[in-house]
Amino acid sequence: MSRYVVGRVAELPPGSRKIVMVDGRSIGVFNIAGRYFALRNRCPHQGAPLCLGRIKGTTLPGKPYARVYARDGEIIQCPWHGWEFEIETGRTYFNPHRLRVKTYDVTVERVEMADVTLETFSVTTEGDFVILHA
Amino acid sequence: MSAAAREPIIDCDVHNRFKDRSMRELLPYLPRVYQEDVKQWGVNMPAGGYPNGGDRGYRADSWPQDGYAGSSVDLMREQLLDRYHVEYAVLLGQELRPLGTLPDADYAAALAHAYNEFLIEHWLAADARFRGAMLIATQDVPQAVKEIDRIGRHPGIVEVLVANGARLPYGNRYYHPIFEACEALGLPFALHTGSEGVGINGQPSVAGYGSYYVENRQVRPQGYMTHLTSLIFEGVFERFPKLRVVFVEGGYAWLAPFLWRLDADYRGLRDQTPWVRRPPSEYVWERVRFTSQPLEEPERPSQLLEVFAWNRADRTLMFASDYPHWDFDSPVDAFPRLPDELRRRIFRDTAAELYGFAPRDAAAPSPSIASPGGGEA
Repeated sequence: MSRYVVGRVAELPPGSRKIVMVDGRSIGVFNIAGRYFALRNRCPHQGAPLCLGRIKGTTLPGKPYARVYARDGEIIQCPWHGWEFEIETGRTYFNPHRLRVKTYDVTVERVEMADVTLETFSVTTEGDFVILHA
Repeated sequence: MSAAAREPIIDCDVHNRFKDRSMRELLPYLPRVYQEDVKQWGVNMPAGGYPNGGDRGYRADSWPQDGYAGSSVDLMREQLLDRYHVEYAVLLGQELRPLGTLPDADYAAALAHAYNEFLIEHWLAADARFRGAMLIATQDVPQAVKEIDRIGRHPGIVEVLVANGARLPYGNRYYHPIFEACEALGLPFALHTGSEGVGINGQPSVAGYGSYYVENRQVRPQGYMTHLTSLIFEGVFERFPKLRVVFVEGGYAWLAPFLWRLDADYRGLRDQTPWVRRPPSEYVWERVRFTSQPLEEPERPSQLLEVFAWNRADRTLMFASDYPHWDFDSPVDAFPRLPDELRRRIFRDTAAELYGFAPRDAAAPSPSIASPGGGEA
């Protein structure tokens, strides 16, 4: 596993996402209310670019006819067939035990100048950066 | 991607759309009186009241900057034709396909005429890989026949299209002049899902309307079973011995078990419809084709191979992506691994035979066909 600089913290505000290509893999990095998550940008169903989908809430399982919107901003919906995934866990909403997309860890780290341990574009200034562990 | 997946394919259900709700591109093709109506009321197509899936019914990544999903030839080339090596894409339109829902037969016929002209001038001329399904309005059969005779000889027109939702099962004698016109020009008669229970059509199921969109999607095979049965037992395949019928987007796995039932009933009830001279399944194997999308997704994908054997998929199944709809089937990922020959039948050869496209041996290795409109990508 390697560490990749996704960008400055200010470039990934809450509610936003960034798609990065690392080592031949397309990965979506998300900021949900100040917490960071990352998902493989390929739907396990038919290969669609999952992380380009709509970030949304969903309706929670409940009693028949009760349709309540919740979890706003925590779900991503595949742009093709509408499968819903929890951004935090990568699990599908309809079958969380069997179907999921790969997740990666994301951290925020203070990067000093000339930190050579990071792979990807060079970091020429210091500050707080979003780091993908993939 | 395997070598087989790079071979040219034919996509039998692609949806071209207007730029926006106004459909102003259609206006030049309408008589002045209807231009005035459309300016005031819009095209005024009855709506069904259900939502849809995806992003307003379409793949979220299929919306061009300047209009509706499905309205950009360039994006369609990028996301479908070039990406998947599509040799021919049959365009089935979108907004005007529910023509049969309109109360005014003359207006519906004028819209069919206008759409067919627009299809030829705007779409078929834009890329040599496009072929078109012409629309008819069935409210007035003589006008529908006239439209088939008028435009059906155009080399880019490959079938005559109606919706699943209807006022009568399609085998009914009311429609027979349409089949006569189709047969005379060698054009398949195609049905596409939609319009069930909308406008002047009958209710979508024997028990009326489901409450939710997901229920509404399940009336598709019910309607197709009704129409297929009607076509067989009203003797359409006997009366019009060269007529071919295509069922688009209404499921496929149901076919063989349904035909087992028809064949069994036929043995004991044949004397009530003696003009049906062969077991029902034989008419289907010979004359009826089905498009694949949305392909059923069994517990184990390999179970589809059993279904394909039951359904004689090497003869009856034709690939369709339904691009740019949200339930798009990827030519690469939607199917289980298939034997090469079956794959070629489903992804190309059966459609090429039906629509009269060049056989595989004569086809170019890649879809580099010169465009009469100069719009080749």
